[in-house]
Amino acid sequence: MTLLQTLTDSARNLAVRSPWIYRINAGSCNGCDVECATTALIPRYDVERLGCQYCGSPRHADIVLITGPLTAHIKDDVLRVFAEIPDPKVTVAVGVCPISGGIFRESYAVHAQVDQYLPVDVNVPGCPPRPQAIIEGVAQAIAIWRQRI
Amino acid sequence: MLDTTTIPLAVLMFPGGLFALAFGLALKGLDRRVAARLQGRIGPPLAQPFFDLVKLARKRTMVPDIAAEPVFLGAPLIGTVSMLLAAALVPIPGVYAPNPMLGDLLVLLYLLAVPAVVLMIAGSASGSPFGAIGFSREMALMLAYEGPLVLVVAAVALRTGSFSLSDIIAYQQTHGAFLFDPVMWPALLAFLAFYPANLGIVPFDIPEAETEVLEGPLLEYSGPALGLFKMMSALKAVVVLGLGVALFFPSAPDGAAGLLVHLAKLVVMMLVGVTLLRVSMGRMRIDQAFSFFLRWPLALSLLSLAIVAAA
Ligand code: SF4
Repeated sequence: MTLLQTLTDSARNLAVRSPWIYRINAGSCNGCDVECATTALIPRYDVERLGCQYCGSPRHADIVLITGPLTAHIKDDVLRVFAEIPDPKVTVAVGVCPISGGIFRESYAVHAQVDQYLPVDVNVPGCPPRPQAIIEGVAQAIAIWRQRI
Repeated sequence: MLDTTTIPLAVLMFPGGLFALAFGLALKGLDRRVAARLQGRIGPPLAQPFFDLVKLARKRTMVPDIAAEPVFLGAPLIGTVSMLLAAALVPIPGVYAPNPMLGDLLVLLYLLAVPAVVLMIAGSASGSPFGAIGFSREMALMLAYEGPLVLVVAAVALRTGSFSLSDIIAYQQTHGAFLFDPVMWPALLAFLAFYPANLGIVPFDIPEAETEVLEGPLLEYSGPALGLFKMMSALKAVVVLGLGVALFFPSAPDGAAGLLVHLAKLVVMMLVGVTLLRVSMGRMRIDQAFSFFLRWPLALSLLSLAIVAAA
């Protein structure tokens, strides 16, 4: 039993070193998306050294970054894509939009905050947040993910 | 002579199996690390592909509603098993010669075609439109590069008079490696163009282009099934590079030193032919890649076949 536990523990420790990130744009102004792309794509903030990798398919994802206020138009599609992501997964809401609606609050196109529809684990406030903040959000997400995987 | 007891060992443990898998994953990790350094990044740890595999093993495999489930889940298994067998078929000069019972170069050629076929099947079985695009691109690319490969192998076989990799290596050990034989240079060039396409890297990663068709056939895969595909591609790197070494440059000392030399050759081939190429080029369009392969590598391999036949 203890051997099994040690094995599971070490497998978990290895597994958390490979978080794959998927971005969902839920009607963001693109400011947050640019910052998300920045954290991965420019050499200075290279997140591949943490084992992170942006993936094109929701089925490959472990950590989901959601940007934007979840506009009424795109809500159903976002929920569908979110359901396609295999468990265990962690959700990070990037920017102030998913938290409160941000500058789009009270718009006719925005119904409610993202966490009314999806289980959000980490909030990264800012409009847009700095790359460092996003990386910290991802790091917190990895810590949460460790409990789940 | 035909002792079959070592075959399971060869397939599961030493030249194939665990050893090839570990080395293939290390090659992939090295590739990612060096590519990151060349782009001015720090890059992932060398064992990153291994972490990825452990992670994938702990995730859930989801099967899309419209997918043909047995085919969808069977495809990665078939691909990985075929590559395990192929890895046991590739000799390591001075260290390991495959048992003739297991097969020869022709069997290896067939097995090498399996991963591409499996990706096509996976793409179409997943029921996703991106998978279907990946399927058609994979097929076009395969039609383009398979011809030159067969001709290259035919040229080497004609030169040595045998389709057995052991004989090919023995021939080169007495007559000198083909790498230094001008008659074989066209074939060598054709092979150098072939292997990046077979390994599916930029500029020939058209079927799995992440930014265009979202990894095509792999789009719908998750968890352990995706892990099997990663294993397949790691094994394939070892097989294809090992085949290149056996065909063109098998000179190596006996024993442990021979193994080290072999591994060093694979690392060099990976870094130069894959990593450097990958970071310095953009992706081709499928029609460009198709006409490229039907023009240069095909012409070169035909040329080499003609010279060898005349020589
Ligand atoms: S938080 Fe600001 S930058 Fe980000 S999507 Fe909303 S408005 Fe744009």
